Amino acid sequence: MKRFVCLSVLIAVAVFSAEIARTQDLTSLKEASRNIRSVKAEFLQKRSLPILTKPLFSEGKLFFYIPNSLRWEYLSPLRSVMLRKGNNIQIYNFSDGVWKPEMAQAVESRRMVLEEISHWFQGRFDESKAFKHLYSPGPSERVILVSGEGINRFINRIEIVLSVRPGVIHRVEIEEPGGSRTSIEFKNVEINSSFSSEVFEKP
Amino acid sequence: MILRRGLDICLLGFLILSAGCGPISKTTLRPGSPDDLPGCYAIFPAEPWVSVHRLEATIRGGSSSLLGVTKGEPSERRLQSLLLSPEGFILFDAELSGGGIAVRKAVDPFDSPAFARGLMEDVALLFLLPQVKPTTWGKETHGAMICNWEGPDDSHTEIMGSMDSGWRILRRDKYGKVIKKVVLNGPFVNGLASRVELWSFKPASYRLRMTLVQPSP
Repeated sequence: MKRFVCLSVLIAVAVFSAEIARTQDLTSLKEASRNIRSVKAEFLQKRSLPILTKPLFSEGKLFFYIPNSLRWEYLSPLRSVMLRKGNNIQIYNFSDGVWKPEMAQAVESRRMVLEEISHWFQGRFDESKAFKHLYSPGPSERVILVSGEGINRFINRIEIVLSVRPGVIHRVEIEEPGGSRTSIEFKNVEINSSFSSEVFEKP
Repeated sequence: MILRRGLDICLLGFLILSAGCGPISKTTLRPGSPDDLPGCYAIFPAEPWVSVHRLEATIRGGSSSLLGVTKGEPSERRLQSLLLSPEGFILFDAELSGGGIAVRKAVDPFDSPAFARGLMEDVALLFLLPQVKPTTWGKETHGAMICNWEGPDDSHTEIMGSMDSGWRILRRDKYGKVIKKVVLNGPFVNGLASRVELWSFKPASYRLRMTLVQPSP
């Protein structure tokens, strides 16, 4: 019995310590992200589906400016761009040599996606309405987002693998029900570089 | 939630709208020689395949872009079709097998049975050889094939063209009115056309433009 009590105390201390460490790490992560005003990057998206014998790759680029300006653009195989500036969201598809606006209903449904992505670049994982977050320490430091009720129909979890550069995201892994996966790897990441605010307004 | 409110392409509207179509004259043919018959099957993949297409849907003047993944097993007359948003989310996943449609996943606005039926009919028109032998077929003087099939519901399917000039599929209702028109252009990769354009006139009016992104045998 004595042994059991000791063991319970040890476990309780360990869990409590881990909780403090987790809070500290997430706090320092948020702190590091506080120095980030803008992000410019290219990305390679790898989509794995059980139906596909080989993954589908998409390439794109992104621009982010605090607190909520985002341009998320696919260059191939579909050319499409999502623009967010404040609460204003626009989506365009490139077709027949011109940018065509996406239908209105499709625009609204992307609002949450863009909000989530904006949170990631600021380390504001605790502000997600759809996911609970967990911190996992290195060697590849990562934040794990576990989906809540409703969203789990589409996404099981998201892992955000952090770069060794403070506050910078290296890769995002998305797991869906049914065995589908998406990996988005960021490259040529530029932090706090300057660019025109027009990138958030015009395709 | 991300997609529920509709990464909407309003393809659902395809099944709501109805529009007439211009008449396209029906070609009358004498029965062709048995040697010409394989030409009627040229545009349909013969072996199992998986393809990824870039899709552009146009309806009521609006347009939307999607990715379409199709897996086919011609000998089993089985097709699986997925629609993905540009970000890669699965919006629709259904299988056509033994004449029945099983929907694995469908989010608003792709979640109506009518949408599933319409989409799978289109996919079958594009990729599955009609179950019976053509009723008439032949070659035109410049070498283009023309093949006609009678459907069980008194519908007609007409395929005409060649690998050099491209192909056209017309589906007519029992009154002879064109309800679907498809244009396929090469080059053909693993039996799949690189560019496909489909017009649906009835029961819904819409246009689908497909560009082959990734074929795999």
